Amino acid sequence: MLRHAAHRLMLAVPVLFGVLLIGFMLMQIVPTDPATVRAGPAATQEVVAAIRAELGLDQPIWVQFGLYLWRLAQGDLGVSIINNMPVTQELGATIGPTVELMFASLLWSIPAGIFLGTVAAYWRGALLDRAIMAVSVAGVSVPVFFLGLVLIWFVGFQWQLLPFTGRGGPLWTWEGIRAIILPAVTLGGVLVGPVARMTRTAVVDTLSADHVRTARAKGLHERLVVLRHALRNALIPVVTLIGLQIGFLLGGAVVTETIFSWPGVGRLAVGAILSADFPMAQGTIIVLSAGFILVNLIVDLLYAVLDPRVRQS
Amino acid sequence: MSDTTLDAAPAAPGRPSALRMLLRDVGGAFSLVLVILIVLLAAFAPWLAPHDPFATDLMAVMEPPSARYWFGTDGQGRDIFSRMLFGLRVTLGMGVASLAAGGVIGAVIGFCAAYYRRIDGVLMRLMDMLLSFPAILFGLALAAIFGPGLTSVIIALSIATIPLMARIVRSAALVVMGLDYIEAARAIGMNDQRLIFRHLAPNCLSSVFVFSTLRLGQVILLGSALSFLGLGAQPPMAELGAMAAQGRNFLFIAPHISVIPSLGIFVIVLAFNLLGDALRDALDPRLRI
Repeated sequence: MLRHAAHRLMLAVPVLFGVLLIGFMLMQIVPTDPATVRAGPAATQEVVAAIRAELGLDQPIWVQFGLYLWRLAQGDLGVSIINNMPVTQELGATIGPTVELMFASLLWSIPAGIFLGTVAAYWRGALLDRAIMAVSVAGVSVPVFFLGLVLIWFVGFQWQLLPFTGRGGPLWTWEGIRAIILPAVTLGGVLVGPVARMTRTAVVDTLSADHVRTARAKGLHERLVVLRHALRNALIPVVTLIGLQIGFLLGGAVVTETIFSWPGVGRLAVGAILSADFPMAQGTIIVLSAGFILVNLIVDLLYAVLDPRVRQS
Repeated sequence: MSDTTLDAAPAAPGRPSALRMLLRDVGGAFSLVLVILIVLLAAFAPWLAPHDPFATDLMAVMEPPSARYWFGTDGQGRDIFSRMLFGLRVTLGMGVASLAAGGVIGAVIGFCAAYYRRIDGVLMRLMDMLLSFPAILFGLALAAIFGPGLTSVIIALSIATIPLMARIVRSAALVVMGLDYIEAARAIGMNDQRLIFRHLAPNCLSSVFVFSTLRLGQVILLGSALSFLGLGAQPPMAELGAMAAQGRNFLFIAPHISVIPSLGIFVIVLAFNLLGDALRDALDPRLRI
């Protein structure tokens, strides 16, 4: 277990280093001088020079990289070129909504996918199985923005049932719940298909396993056989595969946030890149990557907890 | 070379060819026809397009689908059908280019890892690192570095494809490496290069083929999403994702402007996904459940 965790951590460290290096390189090719930006338009030459020295911009590049890491460790990601706000401050405000959105999407799509996959596996070959699999192939193929636009058009605009722009408020308020429904349905919608497919394959595998046959032979109720003996064992590969889908979900989140004007990291990233706000773009990319690496690490460790075979190997 | 005919393995007797297997499956036949149709539409776009895809007609802005404009017109009065035909070229070209670039590099890495066992560990750890990044992050990072554009998207999608292809090729090659005829070829003193290209590579082709078909769908989906965000194809270029994004501003007055191109992407990706699934079933019956 410890060895497995150590191995995963060893892999995560160079990846994180790579992210930071890319972030640093991004700041190197920026056409604008960070010192001038930080000093403001009215600053004199002396002030700019002082800030250059303070930021270490007159140092050799590898010293600058060290300084960059040092500042990063202290939570300093520079200031936005567009509105002169500290990048960390804006990022801090967007992380919550992104996590909220992803969580809300997973909350409904994973149970839905597992349910559909189990049903399809149990009645494998039947019309119901074919229908579920057809829907899940469609789900894998549908562009997130198509789903989002159609939901906005019908549910938000034509029927006026739910709001579709921005976050309504904290999730414990009625408005907050109403506002997150459409984005969460959109983002989760692209995940149901893959989860259903993976669950079906895994359950079909375990349904033909020996212990399931034994369970049936001793006259166990069919529902117990499927739920307790087949599905439970099938969940182990499903959990890992869901972990792999987190990246896919992140991509969907960037698009979903943009369509629904959801104030998250993805929307901030796209806006920053389009307006050439390099410090902000760099900050968002670092946060998204670090978050992704962290989630992957957690999923890996969770996998070891769930499956004793991984723990022992 | 005189021995080329010897190397071409004849189909095993008694087993139907992969194509016949594919066509026997309803979904397989349907998706194959659809993919061929899509490719033909893209190839003959200049001859098929009823209007100039870039010509604006301010007298016919945001018109709904009609006999004159089959899919209606966009916010600048351009014919959506014609733009989609040309957009198909960009979208498919983007997908194929990134699949080809990433696929070739990934395949070489995969073969090297399987064949030269000493560097296997290092190569695969590198691939694991690449794999620990979602494609969208490559897309965002490259767009930030080089500026938004089709090139950034293609490079990002290529990089994201490398580790996937490397894994597929490596595991396929490892299976083939364990077979007797590779041992035999080694025993008669065949050199590495010949062994890889003559015996190893051709026998990994079916896995590569299945993966490529499925991956093409994913790459198109990702690329069009990046274009939709404004990080890919730039106006006035016609690209399906970018067209959908332009229509977003008119969603409540003229939903067809963004819905029809989005639907187009859906159909293309669906066709490649169905074809990939059917190909997998046809080429490797063991995988069928």
